[in-house]
Amino acid sequence: MAQSRFSKIDEYGFERPDDFDYQTYETFMSQYLQILARRSKKWTTLMKSEQALKKKRILKSYIRKGIPNEYREKVWLHVSGANEAKIKHGVDLYKKMVASTHDTTLVEAIRIDLPRTFPDNIFFNSSDEHQEMLFRVLIAYAHHNKKVGYCQGMNYIAGLILLVTKNEDSTFWLLKALVENILPDYYSPTMDGLLTDIDTVSELVRLKYPEVSKHVAELGLPWPVITTKWFICIYCEVLPTETVLRIWDCLFNEGSKIVFRVALTIIGLHISEILSTTQFSEMNDCLKKIVKGPPTVHCHNFTQSIFKVPGKLTTKVINRIRETVSQERKQKKD
Amino acid sequence: MANKAGPQRPNGTAQAKICQFKLVLLGESAVGKSSLVLRFVKGQFHEYQESTIGAAFLTQTVCLDDTTVKFEIWDTAGQERYHSLAPMYYRGAQAAIVVYDVTNQDTFGRAKTWVKELQRQASPNIVIALAGNKADLANKRCVEYEEAQAYAEENGLLFMETSAKTGTNVNEIFLAIAKKLPKSETIGGSGSGQGRRLVESDTTAKTSTSCCK
Repeated sequence: MAQSRFSKIDEYGFERPDDFDYQTYETFMSQYLQILARRSKKWTTLMKSEQALKKKRILKSYIRKGIPNEYREKVWLHVSGANEAKIKHGVDLYKKMVASTHDTTLVEAIRIDLPRTFPDNIFFNSSDEHQEMLFRVLIAYAHHNKKVGYCQGMNYIAGLILLVTKNEDSTFWLLKALVENILPDYYSPTMDGLLTDIDTVSELVRLKYPEVSKHVAELGLPWPVITTKWFICIYCEVLPTETVLRIWDCLFNEGSKIVFRVALTIIGLHISEILSTTQFSEMNDCLKKIVKGPPTVHCHNFTQSIFKVPGKLTTKVINRIRETVSQERKQKKD
Repeated sequence: MANKAGPQRPNGTAQAKICQFKLVLLGESAVGKSSLVLRFVKGQFHEYQESTIGAAFLTQTVCLDDTTVKFEIWDTAGQERYHSLAPMYYRGAQAAIVVYDVTNQDTFGRAKTWVKELQRQASPNIVIALAGNKADLANKRCVEYEEAQAYAEENGLLFMETSAKTGTNVNEIFLAIAKKLPKSETIGGSGSGQGRRLVESDTTAKTSTSCCK
């Protein structure tokens, strides 16, 4: 492998895998660094204004072009509704939940997953500090929202938020915003919202990319196999980290339709690859490969693509499909 | 793709038979399902294996005399709430490995529940193996070998204690399943020698061939 000026560890502390494509990454970074510098300047000007976070239209366009890491925590807390929730529930809710008596089954379930969360991240594997921060966030949340408790996958989401914000309290509120307001019922014991959204994305693919839908059905790869991790981890541990964060910028601001836009874009950008697979296992490998390929590494282009590639997609349409598929599922059960 | 797996026989003699089987791994969270698969497919072990969300799919091939058995392996998430997705993975499976952790009694209880569910809901001829994993942690053992073996016998399951960490009985349990699976024609003479194992994983970039006895 050619010498790379990029280290084995990325800016969030993740070890790059052995098969990491440095060449693609270098090409991308040479362009992206300029974009980052430009955006950073723009954001610094914007954030100086008192009214910065109230200008919804400007904010939306700025967010789609990426929030600089130093402003992510502040902007996420604002646009996700986390700040409002904090006022409603009391600013010391997190502290209270950490200090409350904890259910031993929950403690055990969370503890088991701590060393298994980002074992290839230097912040999580070098000392207990991050693991303990993550533990407190997850146990506090599990007790705050007893209906959800702890669902595997939340460890990755909270873990990544923690790597960005470095702040437990913010991580707790952002996790709460995601689980309760932004994503519909993915993590509850029945996972109803997840099952609905898996059927919804399957239907959306049928409408937007009928040939892909047909091919997936022919090879017999069930949609839950493809999309469970996409949705539960909101692409964390699926797409490259920087791309995930760019998606989350939009997700916190615009809501769960972003999750579908991303799924449709991953598929829409790789139609010929997907259609060229002839076997079930080949298709499965193809889907694992494309989420790490050049089009997703280039997070800036990818984020722009999610608003173009799938075409028009309104929340109204998504909700109508959700309604239909969820009723169909209930009827099947009965 | 599949015909790469079997040894080629020249001069018109019958080619080796290739059988493909769907195998699913089930069991409580953190008992070592993914680690068993990783050891079997790639010969690797990570002390801290990331928790599986949804399911992972891998393939591995073993050779048994003149038959090549290709396993399509479904590795599932262990947490209880992912249970509603499990039937999709064991539906149509010809084999299952139900895994528990020998250092944790609760996981053995959960394994029994999985066995019951498979016996009720899965294909009637499914070959079920019970794996007591983490056998290397002998000083922390909570589930006795005899207890699990008696249970397995009662229920007609294959049974082995395994260690994904040391590799003990990992290939062996897959091989035992391969032997027990019905091939379309019976393979000549039961107990016919040791299985030769051809490593040919097509989910990884590396393809190596090695034989163990």
